[in-house]
Amino acid sequence: MVQTDTARAVLTATQVCKAYGPRTVLDGISLRTERGERLALTGPSGSGKTTLLNCLGGIDRADSGDISLEGRSLAGLSGAELARLRRERIGTIFQFFHLLPTLTVHENVELPLQLLRWPVQKRDPAVGSLLARVGLAERADALPTQLSGGEQQRVAIARALVHHPALLLADEPTGNLDSVNGANILSLLRELTDETGTTLVLVTHSEDAAAICHRRLHLRDGRIV
Amino acid sequence: MIAWLLFRRFSLRHWRSTPGQNTLLVLILALGVGVFVAIRLANRAAVASFSNFSETLIGQSDWILEPASGDLPDSVLPEIRHRLGDQPVDMIPVVETTAAPPVRSGEPYYERPTYTLLGIDFIGLSNVPAARAALGRLGAAAGGDFWHTWQQPNRVWISPNVPETGTLRVLIGDQYHLLPIAGVLRSAPGSPAVPDDYLIMDLPDLQTLLHRPGRIDRIEFVAEPGLRLDERREELGRLLTEWGGNGERWLVRSPGVRRETADKMTEAFRLNLTILSLIALIVGLYLIFQALDGAVVRRRGEIAVLRSLGVEESTIRRLWLTEAALLGAVGGIAGVLLGWLGAQGAVRAIGRSVNVLYFATTVRQANLSWPEVLLGLALGIAASVIAGWWPAREASRTPPAQILTRGAAPGPRLWRNPAAGIVVVSIGAAIIRVPPITLTSGSHFPLAGYASAFAWIVGGGILCASALPYAARLIRWMGKRGPSRRVALGHLARPSGRHRLAVASLLCAVGMSAGMAILVSSFESTIRGWMARSLQADLYVYSAAARSASANDHIQAPTWKALAKEPGVAQEWLLAEYPVQIGTGAPTTLAGTNLELTEAHANLPWVEAPSGPAVFDAARNGGLCLVSESFSDRFGVHRGGEIALPTPAGVRQVRVAGVYADYGNERGIVLVQWERLVQWMHDDSATHISLFLAPHVNAVAMRHRLRSRFPGLQVLTYTELRGQILNVFRQTFTITYALEIIGVLVAVAGLALAMASILLDRRDELTSLRALGFSRAEMAWAGSAEGLALAVWAIVGGLALSLALGWLLIHVINKQSFGWTLGFQVPLGQLVGLAVAVAVAGWLVSFAVGWWGANLPADREE
Repeated sequence: MVQTDTARAVLTATQVCKAYGPRTVLDGISLRTERGERLALTGPSGSGKTTLLNCLGGIDRADSGDISLEGRSLAGLSGAELARLRRERIGTIFQFFHLLPTLTVHENVELPLQLLRWPVQKRDPAVGSLLARVGLAERADALPTQLSGGEQQRVAIARALVHHPALLLADEPTGNLDSVNGANILSLLRELTDETGTTLVLVTHSEDAAAICHRRLHLRDGRIV
Repeated sequence: MIAWLLFRRFSLRHWRSTPGQNTLLVLILALGVGVFVAIRLANRAAVASFSNFSETLIGQSDWILEPASGDLPDSVLPEIRHRLGDQPVDMIPVVETTAAPPVRSGEPYYERPTYTLLGIDFIGLSNVPAARAALGRLGAAAGGDFWHTWQQPNRVWISPNVPETGTLRVLIGDQYHLLPIAGVLRSAPGSPAVPDDYLIMDLPDLQTLLHRPGRIDRIEFVAEPGLRLDERREELGRLLTEWGGNGERWLVRSPGVRRETADKMTEAFRLNLTILSLIALIVGLYLIFQALDGAVVRRRGEIAVLRSLGVEESTIRRLWLTEAALLGAVGGIAGVLLGWLGAQGAVRAIGRSVNVLYFATTVRQANLSWPEVLLGLALGIAASVIAGWWPAREASRTPPAQILTRGAAPGPRLWRNPAAGIVVVSIGAAIIRVPPITLTSGSHFPLAGYASAFAWIVGGGILCASALPYAARLIRWMGKRGPSRRVALGHLARPSGRHRLAVASLLCAVGMSAGMAILVSSFESTIRGWMARSLQADLYVYSAAARSASANDHIQAPTWKALAKEPGVAQEWLLAEYPVQIGTGAPTTLAGTNLELTEAHANLPWVEAPSGPAVFDAARNGGLCLVSESFSDRFGVHRGGEIALPTPAGVRQVRVAGVYADYGNERGIVLVQWERLVQWMHDDSATHISLFLAPHVNAVAMRHRLRSRFPGLQVLTYTELRGQILNVFRQTFTITYALEIIGVLVAVAGLALAMASILLDRRDELTSLRALGFSRAEMAWAGSAEGLALAVWAIVGGLALSLALGWLLIHVINKQSFGWTLGFQVPLGQLVGLAVAVAVAGWLVSFAVGWWGANLPADREE
C-alpha cells in the first residue's frame, strides 16, 4: 500500500521551511499530489504561496524539510541537476506570462524542446500541433508584443506543456487577464492536464481558478490551515 | 532642498546598491581622463627641458640674439658694444653643443644619455651684477675661488644628474675629450632648477674643442636694473632688430619666444598624440551614456512614482545631471592620479620620440600641477554631463503615475536611423578637402581631416548600430542549433538601445585602432621601399654623439678626409645639415651634398622630378636646389619656385629644381651643392658620410676597421642602418600602440558593462529561463553568444571604418600634417590579430557577465 502510494505520488513536500533573514516565509509545509491531480494553493498576500511554488519547482531552495518529484529528492541536487530536472519534468506558467519578447510564438514554445536536444524534425510537428491545440497556429510567427494577454498566456501554457512534464506549476495564471480570457485559460488548463495526465499546482487568489482543482490548500503565515 | 533630499535617498542609495558597476564606470572614465592627462603631462615635460640654461644661472635675460642659420662671428660683439655706447646693457656670448658619454655596445642610440654643453664667457658674465653671485656659487662648487679654477683648461661644471667621476670622458663631434669636473651646478635662488644633464665650461675652451675659434651661437642681453627699465628693454630689442637687418644678419627673440620654438617644433607631433589620447575618452563617452541610460530604464518605475508625487521635471533632470557630474568628478580625480602615474611611463616614450625626431631631451619625470588637476576634473565632469544629458532628458519625461514594467528601451531614435548615419558620413566626406589650418610654426593642422574622421566614426557607429537587427536576421537560422543561441539571436534581431550603443562604442575603438595600424603599416612599408631605393652605399658614417634628427654633431674635415683616404674606400658622399629659420622664423633644415652623386646612386622617389640634368652638375647648379616634399607642402614652394636662404654669408636666393619624397622630419629640407654650402657656412664639416667601397672589399670587415680607427664615429652597414631606422620608427609609434590598446580595453570593458546592464534589464527573463530549465552554464552561453555576436558585428563595421580612416589618415591628415606621401598598405596579420583579440575578449567578458547574471536571485514577490 505504501509502495503503491509512493508510485502514484508525483510531488511530495515534507516539513518544508524557508526564511528570508529573520522573517519565516514557510513554516513546516507538507503536501502530496498524485498524477493528474490539480491542487490549488490559496491564501492572502504574504502567506508564502509563491515561495512555496518556487521551492517546489527547484527555483529556490528550502532551508529544511524535503521536496521530492517523482520520488527524487530535490535537496541533494546540484544547481545543474535541478536545472535538468526543471527542463525535463516541470513546466511553469507565470502571472505576467514572461514570454521571451524577442522570440516568435513558435520559437518560444520550441525552446524547451531545444533544451532537451530534440531534433528539429520532431520539434516542428510537436510545436505545431500544440499551438493548434491552444488555438494559435495562425500566430506562430508573431512576437509576444503583437498578442493579447489571453493569447500570451496560451502561448505560455503551450511552452509549459510542450515537453510533457510531470508537474505543471502555475502562479496566478489568470491574475493579469479579464474574466472572459481568465475563464478560457482555466478551461484550457483543465482540458490539457486531463488529456496529458500532468499534475498541476496552481497558486491563486481566485475562487474560479481554485474551482477547477481537485483539492485546495489554504496558506496563512507560511502554514497550511 | 527637495533635490538634495532626493539625491541622498534616491541616487546615492542606488549607487550603493550596484557598487561593482559604478566602480567599473568610474574606472572607465578615469582611464579616459587619465590617458589624456598622462599625454598632456608627458608632452609638457618633454619640451620643458628645452629651456634657457642661463636662467638658472643668472635669472631671466632680456633678449637673445641668434643667427637664422649657422653661427655668428664674435666680431659682432664689439660692433654691438660700440653701437650701444654707454647704455647699461650686459652681453653674454654663448656656444652650445651636445656631448655624449662613451658609447656602450648594443645600447640603442635613442636610449643613450646626451649632455647639453654650454660655453659661456665667464669674463663677460663677471660684469653682470646678477651673475656675480652665480660665479660665487660656481667657485664654491669647485671648492674655492672661482677664478683659480677658471684658469685651469677645460674645467666643466655639471648638473646634479651627471655622474661625478672626477673627470668626464665625453664625445664631442667626432672626438673624445677628457673634461675635469670643477663642481656641481646649483641654481640661483628663485630661479628654475638646473635642468638634467647640463654641462658648462668657459667659452674659449669650448670654441677650441669644437674647432670653431671666434664663432658663437648666440648672445644673451641683460639690461641692468635702474630707471625706466621696461622702456630701455623695449628700445634695446628694437635697436638689435634694426641692426640685424630685420633677420638678414641675425634674429632677436625674447627668451619666452625662444622657448616657444621647442613647442612649435613639436607642435604637430604633440597635437596628434593628444588627439589619439582622446580615443579612450570618446569610447568612454558612449559607455557613460549607456550606463546612465540603463539606470534610467531600471529606475523608471521609481521616477514615475516621484513624478506622481509632484516632483517637477526640472528637478528630476537636475538630479540625473548631478549624478552624472558626481560620477565625472570622481572619475576625473581618479583619472588625474592615474594620468600622473601613466605620465611617468609616457614621458620616457615621448621623450625618446622627441629626442629622435626633434631635439635632445633627457626628461625622466612629469610633475603634476594645479591646472592639470583642474583640467582633468573639468574633462571628467564635462564628458559625464554631456553623456548624461540624453538620459536626464528621458528621465524627466517619464510620465507621472505610469509605472512601466522593466525592459530595455529602444534608445535614441538616432541609433535606429540609417539615414542619419549616411548624412553624418556624407558631411565627413564633404569637408575632407577643406584646407588645413597653418600653425605659428608653419606646420599645418588638419582640422577638417580630424572633423571628417570624427564624422565617419559617429556616422559609422550609427550605420552599424542601425543595421544590427538586419545582420542578426541573416544568421537567425543558427538559432535552430541550440537554445542559448536561439535566445541570443532573438535579442540581437530586436536589439535594445544598449545593444546598439555597445556596437557603436566597440566599432569606434576597433575602427580607430585598425585605422592607425593601417597608417603605421603603410608608413613602414613606404620607408622600407624608400630605403631600398635611396640607400645605395656600402657604409654609413655619422658622429657617435648624434642623438636626434636635428643633432648638430659634425665630423670635422680632417676626420672625413682621413676616412675617405682609407684603403678600400672608392668614393665618399658627404652630407652636412644645418638648422635654419626662414621667413618669419619657421625652423627647417639646409643641407649640402654631392648632388652629382645623388643622380648616380640615389634613386630618389620624385614628387616633382627635375626637368633637366643641370641640378646634378656641380658646375651648373649654382642657383639650384632640391627640396623635400614636407618643405614643399609646408612653405608652398614647388618646382621652379624661389627660396631665400639665410646664411652666415648673407641671404642666398635659390630656385627649386625638383621635389623628392623624404621621411626624415616634417620640418622639411633644402638640398644644395656641397661646395656651395661650405662657402656659405664657412664650414667644411659633415654630419653624414656614405662610403662606396672598392670591388671585393668586405663591408663588415671594413666597418670593424673604421670603428677601431675612428672611435668617435658610428659606422653602419646598410643592414644595420636599415635596422636602426626601423627600430627608431617602431619605438616612435610605441606610445601610439599603447593608446590604441587602452582604447580597445575600454571598449571591451564597456561591452561587459553593456551586457551587465542588459541582463539587469532582463531580470524577469532570467527567471523565466531558469524556470524553463536553463542551467547556469547555458544562460552564460546565451550571454556570451550575444556578446560575441555584438563584438563580431562591431569588428566587421570597425574594420570597414578602419579602411576609410586609414585612407583619411594617409592621404589627408598625414599629408597635411607632415607632407609625406605614403603608399596604402593593409596589415592583414595585425588586423586579423586585433579582430580575434577583440572577439575573444568580448566573448570571455560576456560569458563572465552571463555567468554572473544567471545567478541573480529569483524575483521574490512574497
